[in-house]
Amino acid sequence: MSTPFIRRREALQRLALLVGATLSLPVQAALRGETTAGVPLVFSEAQQRLMADLADVILPSTDTPGAKDAGVHQFIGHVIGHCTAPAQQELFLKGLQQTDALSQTVFRKPFSELDSPQRTEVVRQLTQREKPFFLTLRELTIVGYFTSETGATKTLAYLPIPGRFQGDLPLKPGQKVWAL
Amino acid sequence: MNLNIDAVKAQTYDAIVIGSGVSGGWAAKELTEKGLRVLMLERGRPLEHVSGYTEALKAPWEMPEAARLGDLALKYPQAPPDAAKTVPTYWMPGADTSYRQEKPFRWLRPDIVGGKSIMWGRQSYRFSDIDFEANAKEGIGIDWPIRYKDLAPWYSYVEKFAGISGEKLGLPQLPDSEFIAPMDMFLVEKEVRKSIEKNYPGRVMTIGRTANLSEAQKVHVDNGRSPCQYRNQCIRGCPYGAYFSTQSCTLPPAVKTGRLTLRPNSVVTEVIYDAQKQRASGVRVKDAQTLESQEYFAKIIFVCASAMASTALLMNSVSERFPNGLGNDSGQLGHNLMDHHFRIGANGQWEGGQDRYYYGRRANGIYIPRYRNIGPDKRDYLRGFGYQGGGGRQGWQHQVAELAFGASLKEELTKPGLWNMGLIGFGEQLPEYKNRMYLDKTKLDKWGLPMLVFDAEIGENEKKMRVDMLNDAQEMLEKAGLINVKTYDQGSVLGQAVHEMGTARMGRDPKTSVLNGNNQIHAVKNVFVTDGACMTSSACVNPSLTYMALSARAAHFAVQELKAMRI
Repeated sequence: MSTPFIRRREALQRLALLVGATLSLPVQAALRGETTAGVPLVFSEAQQRLMADLADVILPSTDTPGAKDAGVHQFIGHVIGHCTAPAQQELFLKGLQQTDALSQTVFRKPFSELDSPQRTEVVRQLTQREKPFFLTLRELTIVGYFTSETGATKTLAYLPIPGRFQGDLPLKPGQKVWAL
Repeated sequence: MNLNIDAVKAQTYDAIVIGSGVSGGWAAKELTEKGLRVLMLERGRPLEHVSGYTEALKAPWEMPEAARLGDLALKYPQAPPDAAKTVPTYWMPGADTSYRQEKPFRWLRPDIVGGKSIMWGRQSYRFSDIDFEANAKEGIGIDWPIRYKDLAPWYSYVEKFAGISGEKLGLPQLPDSEFIAPMDMFLVEKEVRKSIEKNYPGRVMTIGRTANLSEAQKVHVDNGRSPCQYRNQCIRGCPYGAYFSTQSCTLPPAVKTGRLTLRPNSVVTEVIYDAQKQRASGVRVKDAQTLESQEYFAKIIFVCASAMASTALLMNSVSERFPNGLGNDSGQLGHNLMDHHFRIGANGQWEGGQDRYYYGRRANGIYIPRYRNIGPDKRDYLRGFGYQGGGGRQGWQHQVAELAFGASLKEELTKPGLWNMGLIGFGEQLPEYKNRMYLDKTKLDKWGLPMLVFDAEIGENEKKMRVDMLNDAQEMLEKAGLINVKTYDQGSVLGQAVHEMGTARMGRDPKTSVLNGNNQIHAVKNVFVTDGACMTSSACVNPSLTYMALSARAAHFAVQELKAMRI
């Protein structure tokens, strides 16, 4: 109650409750636009490249495009830069630094110059040594990817106007989950 | 002198409707169709049907980045959920600072033509005689001045035009509506339904009754509406006119008569009382933007500003005859404030049906009608509750090992997760005199209106009921074979359900009620209140359908009375 954030959050919950329990993600999203508070954190080009490379290890290109192709680092950069408190921003920046430091220690190269198995190894070590950073990165990569045009339409089944509803159908082989 | 007379004439209508939401929309439609020239006043900005719903068809990636976070937004403290960018100014900016809470209260205020009919949950249920008779039988509050038979034809009347999707059950506690086709249930919901029917005689689960066009009948098509496209983005405004709103349903026929004048940005500050005629003569309005004052006059005034705002308006309309608010001879104005209490229930997952899936996004859930204190069931509290909720099959948001990453994670997230299902109890709140709202006339807003103060909370009866609301949900889901069933009680603050009711209640006796059985102020016969303020008890069902029926009924009564020259 004491901060504007809490008040807005409660307002948001009221909105969500108003429409009942069947909110889909985009409807929830519709309720959660954003205004920027404080000074946004702007990432350097090198940092952005690192974020893109890291995201691409978490959701790599397979038979469908990866996180880098989907521009997920822009999403991550926006959320960390505009939507988090300074402490969280510092934690994230430190995580980026540690990623390069770890790369140097283990492989004597910056992360950007590592090959794919080496990158995977560094990220595996991040899950242990920089767990809060890794979890934030992973969460934002997943959300950013599956709500991007590439992720939603190429990797998932995107259906903007279903036109009908059927609650029980055979799951077809290879059926991907609905993007919405 | 002549000029003044002309000016007054130009500002004189047969009827004034204050508010353009669910109730005001119906009042305007019925009054104009009966031949009256109607002025509809709305404090919010204009919102054009279809073209005004600018976000309605946007894909997730067309939304602001932080909007894409969904539920996670709560974890990112500098990303305050601000509806302004995604649902532009449907809600009043700063509404949460426009009132004072002596006890915690949430007042959600729209700021558009159409009011909350644009953002409402659309769940539509009839009250029954079990509801209308309960106060009298139990000695709670006062008796309703009407019974189910008085309202039943009006329920039918509004339902046929609005389009209510649902399934006939023949239950005494939840009378059937005039239904259009019911929506389908998710597989997991069908499983839970079977289990409830088998294990709990007298309990049923049905598909939600919702004001979405599962099919567009001629009456709907003729009104310019199309069937639901199952996008589940109703809250942004529907470009197909597929759910009931003022814009999609009641405004077009009113406009078609050529007798409706709609004036947005019009904050009504006072209903003017004419002591000689013992009638209201009109209203004072402040332009929301220019702050210019204006008066309008009419023979009939419908107050449909939403329960809290209508009550505040009557309280602010003081005169020598009514020093405590218009029509407040009983002293009940502002008291008996009710809402539904909820935010309690259980969720679980189901391991079956792995080879089944679904198609489309249903803008509706399931409903378990009240079964407590019905028939032989007797509890240690009065009244009861119903459950809303629903199921589905988890998508890419489903839980996987938290440290997983790489191609296998990506593959895993593209496959459907487990089916899941949740129940949320919605309970009746008893009317109590001590639960009230009042005005702080020392604090005025920029339109010169006093600040509302809320002093109301749920009581012992509701707290006892919540024990059942939580336990029954858990038990029903577990009996149906769901796993990981978790209960929750997030606490319920009045106003959160946005079903505020009761602060200008109907009754037979002018000494104990504000309105009579026709929603007419006892002592000011040409003023009608047909929004939630009129409710004598809350039942446990969503109330908007009842406001529709009461508004249409009162409008027809008002026209009759006008023709008979009694008002």
